[in-house]
Amino acid sequence: MSATELRTPAVSGFAPGRWIGRVTAFLIAGVFVLFFVIPILWLLLAGTKTDRQLLLGNPFSFGSLGTIVDNWNALAGFQQGVIWTWLGNSAVYSIAALAITLVVSIPAGYALALTDFRLRRPLLIVTLVVMLIPNTALVLPVFLEVSSVHLVGTPLAVILPFSFFPFGVYLTFIYFSTSVSRDLLDAARIDGAGELRVFAQVAMPLAVPVIALVGFFNFTSNWNNYFLPFVMEPGPKSPVQVGLAELLSNVALFNPTSAGSVTIQLPVLALATLVSVAPVLVIFLFSQRFLVSGMTAGGTKE
Amino acid sequence: MASQHRRIKRTLAATAAVAALAILTACSSAGTGSAANDSKYGFTTAKQDSKSAITVWVDAAREPLAKAFVAANPDTPIKIQTYDGNAGGSDSFKTKMALFDQSGSGWPDVVFSTQTNDTSWAAKSANGTQAFAAPLNKGLFPASFLNGFTAGAESPMTVNGTVYGLRNDLAPVVLWYNKKLLDQFGYTAPTTWQEYEALSDKLAADHPGYILGSVGDAFTGTYVYYWGAQAPIFQLKGNTFSSDFTDKHTTAMTDLIDHMLANKTLVQDSLFSADFVKKYASKLVAIPGPAWYAGALFQNAQSLNNPAGEIGAANPLYWDGDAKVTGNVGGGVWYASSHSANYAAVKKFLTFVISSPDAAKLASGLPAYSSTADTWLTAQTSSGYFTGDFKGAISTAASSVWKGWGFPSFSPETAYAKVVVPGLAAGKTIADLSPAWQAEMKNEAQVQGYTVK
Amino acid sequence: MGYAFSSGYGLLLVLFGVLPTLYAIYLAFTKNGAFAGLENFTHVFADYRFLPAVEHVALYLFIWLILLVVVVVILALIVHGLRRRWLSASVRFLYYIPGALAGASSVMLWLFVLDPEVSPVSGILRGLGLSSFVQTVSVQNLPVVFTVIAFWTGAGGWIVIMYGALNNISLEVMEAARIDGAGPIKTAWFIQIPLLRKWISYMGIMSLAAGTQLFVEPRVLSQASRGVVPPDYSLNQLAYLYAFNQGDFNGSAAISLVLLVVALGLAAFFVFRGGLFERD
Repeated sequence: MSATELRTPAVSGFAPGRWIGRVTAFLIAGVFVLFFVIPILWLLLAGTKTDRQLLLGNPFSFGSLGTIVDNWNALAGFQQGVIWTWLGNSAVYSIAALAITLVVSIPAGYALALTDFRLRRPLLIVTLVVMLIPNTALVLPVFLEVSSVHLVGTPLAVILPFSFFPFGVYLTFIYFSTSVSRDLLDAARIDGAGELRVFAQVAMPLAVPVIALVGFFNFTSNWNNYFLPFVMEPGPKSPVQVGLAELLSNVALFNPTSAGSVTIQLPVLALATLVSVAPVLVIFLFSQRFLVSGMTAGGTKE
Repeated sequence: MASQHRRIKRTLAATAAVAALAILTACSSAGTGSAANDSKYGFTTAKQDSKSAITVWVDAAREPLAKAFVAANPDTPIKIQTYDGNAGGSDSFKTKMALFDQSGSGWPDVVFSTQTNDTSWAAKSANGTQAFAAPLNKGLFPASFLNGFTAGAESPMTVNGTVYGLRNDLAPVVLWYNKKLLDQFGYTAPTTWQEYEALSDKLAADHPGYILGSVGDAFTGTYVYYWGAQAPIFQLKGNTFSSDFTDKHTTAMTDLIDHMLANKTLVQDSLFSADFVKKYASKLVAIPGPAWYAGALFQNAQSLNNPAGEIGAANPLYWDGDAKVTGNVGGGVWYASSHSANYAAVKKFLTFVISSPDAAKLASGLPAYSSTADTWLTAQTSSGYFTGDFKGAISTAASSVWKGWGFPSFSPETAYAKVVVPGLAAGKTIADLSPAWQAEMKNEAQVQGYTVK
Repeated sequence: MGYAFSSGYGLLLVLFGVLPTLYAIYLAFTKNGAFAGLENFTHVFADYRFLPAVEHVALYLFIWLILLVVVVVILALIVHGLRRRWLSASVRFLYYIPGALAGASSVMLWLFVLDPEVSPVSGILRGLGLSSFVQTVSVQNLPVVFTVIAFWTGAGGWIVIMYGALNNISLEVMEAARIDGAGPIKTAWFIQIPLLRKWISYMGIMSLAAGTQLFVEPRVLSQASRGVVPPDYSLNQLAYLYAFNQGDFNGSAAISLVLLVVALGLAAFFVFRGGLFERD
């Protein structure tokens, strides 16, 4: 992997024009780093503060460890720990859908990119079209469909629609068609490998990066989906994103009718926001390297 | 509405046929209730089964009460689910029931809603799917029980003499005042809107920075001020919606608010914003507002947090020489489903949450049931937190809510929030904004299928 | 063999893509189960909320797409040009980490950031003349607000993808450009950006699809601002209100269909200009 070092052409001399250009580039990059990082930093710190500190103190100060515990207890105590139920639901829905997505999308993308069959082009076009349909537009018809087979309120009601992930198929298609050559597969075929073996032993190893990518996008979008589970899974079957909106309605500032009874403080809401994305955040922390090398693998595939 | 439901049912059936999918042809056996009343409750009921568990939807604030029921009645089969309580604008109650209507099953047996106007849709009977809300006074509850509500408490849920919901709490508007500040400045609490406005000039001149209220929340502008002023801007007669901004009550209130905004004794901060607490915790001299300000604003460590003995409630403000009436800000409602399979349990539960001692103990605002309210008020008074005649003021207000405002299927808060709140923030006056505000409400009414006058 | 590989996906496609779409089309052109021609459409178009919603979404899409394409490409080029590997990797990482917060979570966080009372950047907000949450989320600011939120959560992922695509450009090509005396800007304009065309179109399509679907953001903001952000801000919210508030599923389907046609029209532009269907 010396590609990265080689890639950048050596800078010749210190021409002033180039120097200004580089400073500008650094500045632009730096400003955007701040833009992307400040809210996250603030969110990480918000849960350590009391309501008062949050409103009056320096936004980037650290509250105290004790306050984290208090806020956490307030969150975990909300409706007897319903936050755990929500997180568990999110996990079940997202992971099950992820498994199905990978099993059906990767072969489909492969077939679209590297095999010929009569329905290939129609399938590709329909995929692109469906990918562009606003998904909220389909929530209602999908609901009617699912309810007619009496699945509303069961995990399947969100897992199956989540598993339909045309974006993943399209991503796989793009990956295979740009990064894997047909010659490679043909060579394997000439060596006598059957179609299944070509797929399993030649295409699959090359596809690891795109599998990761599809899995990643599917999991994140499942985890963060709001509208479909909102409609399909009432009450304690809600995933955490729907739960968050319920928490919001228990913050006095956002729903005065709840004031004076049960209230969630702003730092608790901030902490809940952090908890709700924690799994995805962890995946992000550890997958970036892998994802990037996945995206760049095409460049060094020989 | 009725034809729409029928249409949906029919289109569903048609599509299932078109789709020609075996799985889609599965039954859609919604309660195809005829108009005939074949039960002792006055509507078509599902087959009853006293072993069948009832599902109860409550918001987080009502959950302790529901849990108390379970503790007191361990033998009653019940499942408690919390939802957002249909909180301001979420429309989750209506949405979910519309979805269950489509699927023909899944309705909860009892629903608590924090909004007061759900009867407008929940009581609408439709061919194909029975209206969600069960009539409660046609055999389900005896008149002796229903007569126990504070006068007028049930009117938002009553359509042509049929009662569709049980009011949980009342939120009549009183005048809250800070006795310490009034004494310090040598003022007396105003009793009329005219006195209130006059006091504002005095306060602005003598003690700038002190305030007499806020119009930054949609519920204060509408329910507290305009409803309390008997402004006929949100009226419903039959299916006709009207909004009169030329009535003298309306213009007088608009003048009053614009005047007090100009002299800065009315502010635009939301009462529950951090800024409000920060800026005005010690500067709020008096404020007209609902009974639930007691726990939400004054006796709340997270909000103004006034010490005991400082805050008092006085009779609501009225126009000098006019009827002594007031506004009302919300108040939750319990609904029973017309699809329940266990009305014995439903009835037991509703009776408990309305009239049991626990209902008084766990109430966060003024209970709507008279005996529960008495218990609650006595407890509040005996705590000694409030100065003056707390019980008297609240009781007076509870029985004098102006009956002029309607309860259509949309809330007056929506238009106020959309037009007036941002308009005021941009420096306009309510007089400037009135035409747009009125147009917005009329448009909303039209969209919801009302005739607009 | 292609059929076998794509059968599982094909089944899901029919069940959750094609069937619901056909059903939406059917609903949009019928009323009371009978063919109704364009009645649902004319009814929806005459709704006083329709035109404002169209304006809102169009304005948002306009700002959002331009900003996204321009800034993402520039940032990807800059990051790609960083010579120190760790620096480039860290910057990419920082750009892309907000992607973990999407949907309700990101709106929740931005509720705080947009409220001058608690915002970590309240200085900037006040500098822009925004001293309260109500002012920040006033209707004329919303296209920018949504653009900022969407850019914050979404741009990093695209920068990473563009970066990967830039790495795919062969070293010989870059070297040749350098020998020809092309500076970084010329190289970017004449070599890198044309080679990114496919990915840029792809980003355009995906962002367009996401943009027309604007729903969670205004909905949660509407809930949080208690209606100052109107519940009928975007077209999808309007479709939602039609279905669940007014019980008019036909009108709802008509709006969805309009959205679909517009999205498809714009997407076609990207498909033809970007050569997305070419297999190379």
